[in-house]
Amino acid sequence: MVADITLKSISKKFKNNTALANINLTVRDKEFFVIFGPAGAGKTTLLNVIAGLYLPEYGNLYLNGVYFNYVEPEDRNIAMVFEDYALYPHFTVFENIASPLKSPKYKESKAVIEKEVTRVARILKIDHLLERNISELSNGQRQRVGLGRALVRTPNVFLMDEPITHLDAKLRHQMRAELKEMQKNLDTTTIYVTHDYLEALSLGDEIAILNEGKIEQIGTPDDIYFYPHNEFVASSFGEPEINFFDALVTDDKQLSIFEEAKIQDIPDIVKNKLDTSARSIRVGIRPKDIKYSFVKENDYSVECSVYSFEPLGAKAVLTVEKNGNQIRLVVPSILQMDMDQHVYIELDINKAMFFGPEKINLFSKFLKDAKGEVIWQS
Amino acid sequence: MAKLILDNLHKTYYKNKEPIHAVSDLNIETNDGEFVALLGPSGCGKSTTLRMIAGLEGVTSGNIRIGDHKINDLHPKDRNIGLAFENYAMYPPLSVYENISFNMRAKNVPRQKIKKQVEKISDLLDIKDLLHMNPSALSGGQKQRVNIARALIRRPEVLLLDEPLSHLDGKVRHKMRTEIKHLHNEIKCTTIIVTHDQLEAMALADRIAIIKDGVLQQFGTPLEVFNHPVNEFVAGFIGEPPMNIFSVFTKFKDGNIYFTSKNEKLQFKVPDKYVEFVQEGKEYHFGIRPTDISVITDDHPDSIDTNVTVFENLGEESRIHIKIEEDNILSIVSEEIYPFDTGDHIKIKFDTDRIHIFDIETGGRIENTKVTAILS
Repeated sequence: MVADITLKSISKKFKNNTALANINLTVRDKEFFVIFGPAGAGKTTLLNVIAGLYLPEYGNLYLNGVYFNYVEPEDRNIAMVFEDYALYPHFTVFENIASPLKSPKYKESKAVIEKEVTRVARILKIDHLLERNISELSNGQRQRVGLGRALVRTPNVFLMDEPITHLDAKLRHQMRAELKEMQKNLDTTTIYVTHDYLEALSLGDEIAILNEGKIEQIGTPDDIYFYPHNEFVASSFGEPEINFFDALVTDDKQLSIFEEAKIQDIPDIVKNKLDTSARSIRVGIRPKDIKYSFVKENDYSVECSVYSFEPLGAKAVLTVEKNGNQIRLVVPSILQMDMDQHVYIELDINKAMFFGPEKINLFSKFLKDAKGEVIWQS
Repeated sequence: MAKLILDNLHKTYYKNKEPIHAVSDLNIETNDGEFVALLGPSGCGKSTTLRMIAGLEGVTSGNIRIGDHKINDLHPKDRNIGLAFENYAMYPPLSVYENISFNMRAKNVPRQKIKKQVEKISDLLDIKDLLHMNPSALSGGQKQRVNIARALIRRPEVLLLDEPLSHLDGKVRHKMRTEIKHLHNEIKCTTIIVTHDQLEAMALADRIAIIKDGVLQQFGTPLEVFNHPVNEFVAGFIGEPPMNIFSVFTKFKDGNIYFTSKNEKLQFKVPDKYVEFVQEGKEYHFGIRPTDISVITDDHPDSIDTNVTVFENLGEESRIHIKIEEDNILSIVSEEIYPFDTGDHIKIKFDTDRIHIFDIETGGRIENTKVTAILS
């Protein structure tokens, strides 16, 4: 079954609060599409608009090119998977998966139900668990049953609203891998909502980043991580958070990030993108791309004092202070640095990102026209 | 400045006349100015311990001392302890300034002195601009700062923090974690933090006390508990992504002794240092951290042939998952981003210096000599 979804200029208001503003996006057939954003960004509202639980104030929805704003939720053939799976605890796995087919809408015959449940169970590799009770299942198996129940209707589209967010960090790591393993067999267009950037990068074929009801960027995980459209996107992906520096651009197009360090050449490709009148630029560098040393190694390294040292296992987050600004680095835990110890840092300018006016990445591949529609840059 | 000593601390509740041992035989001695974390899953007794130290909960037996003073029987207000609660518990109609100075005003401390103290503390916590505001106008991070300021203004000998970060989300949480660590380094006040988040405990504490079912499992520095967990519980609790732990059986083959996984998918030689500790034909739990497994390209006698089940590219690192049992995956974390996909054949190798072997019955670490820890 082919299912692609297009949203054009979708807006939604709750009283005077704009929940969604001019959302344009296309989810292609069989794609795993992630909607990412912080709490309150409008992710769930967007999902509910697609499901038909909310009517948008403005804008059109299309399924396979057919306008479907006014199609009733039950007729959209969209299956939703909830955060807590909402399984029937006193039913067996078989009965849980079969439950939608027994509903008044489908009322399938026993033979059909048997066949469908077996098919779905095989895809999800839970065919050996069909007679078990829900209480006997592990978390991973429960999630599969939850998915199975959605899958049995052969929906056009799957909507998943933070299905693994409520688990603790350790289980989440395993469940994400499980989900990714199943994803290959689902073969159904899926829209997945999350606020966890690891889930977005791991699972998404494409990611839309939502913030305060607006789309900040749509792109593949590589686009998002390596070419974030703006500073918001850059700081949302990666932990510890990326560092930003206000740098000066000299008359002869050289770069000065720290006053006491030697002025350095701006890489040519950056120079070409730079506005001739630009006198300042924001430089973003991820914590792992900052080098540290205990002696001054060259003219580009600058002295900082240790603000805090937080071991997290094999790696540690080192926060240093320079001119009142905090800079985060990732270092091995065995360093065991003390407060106010002095350390030299050097930024790897070749791995830096450059943000121009309005905090937009000079190398963004994501552009919008005046109507807010996406133009792709090659 | 003071040492906090918990000496054979017990707490027993009675529920339907059945005793419940919330805390059993707890012995912890902090150094002067040390930052200690009480870490464990919910219901492990860590909060009960904190409440006993604060005096909000009686002690069944054992002693709590600050330096040489026994404080068991002292009224909470006489213990010289500052407590910052999880849920802030501020007076909503009062300003931040009034909230911070509430205690001093109740004790009729001269106004000038109060003002000086509040200024000093608000400087330290960077909340000078908030002093005239109402608590309701503050963000979560700001509230937590005020909360800590209120505990610190009494110049306590011991500062107690009860899950100070659990109400904050994402970025704010990380910032606050850094701030608390920095603050502790500035004031060097003996501090006890209660948390269920192992990353928080690792990041903040000089030493971590890991508690399970009211019993102390291990008390050590973050690197000690990470590198030399005394038992399987500590090994699995500390570290993110978690340590890979799975069953192995010992087996003799052509003069060598091997570990094999349940379904024999993984088979590898028992490292020399373990040979004398393992018995043949016995089951053990084998642990290795995801960062201690490498993907190798050339042949190596210890390499293991396997297939990728799931590959994740997470930007800054990649994770390779290999299904070794129903419901158990072996995960590898690497800084290198490989072009792998499901089903790809790869060779992996365990870092033999960094493997952990646990007894299946006691959960205790085998060849556990280096660890200076208390196991009951």
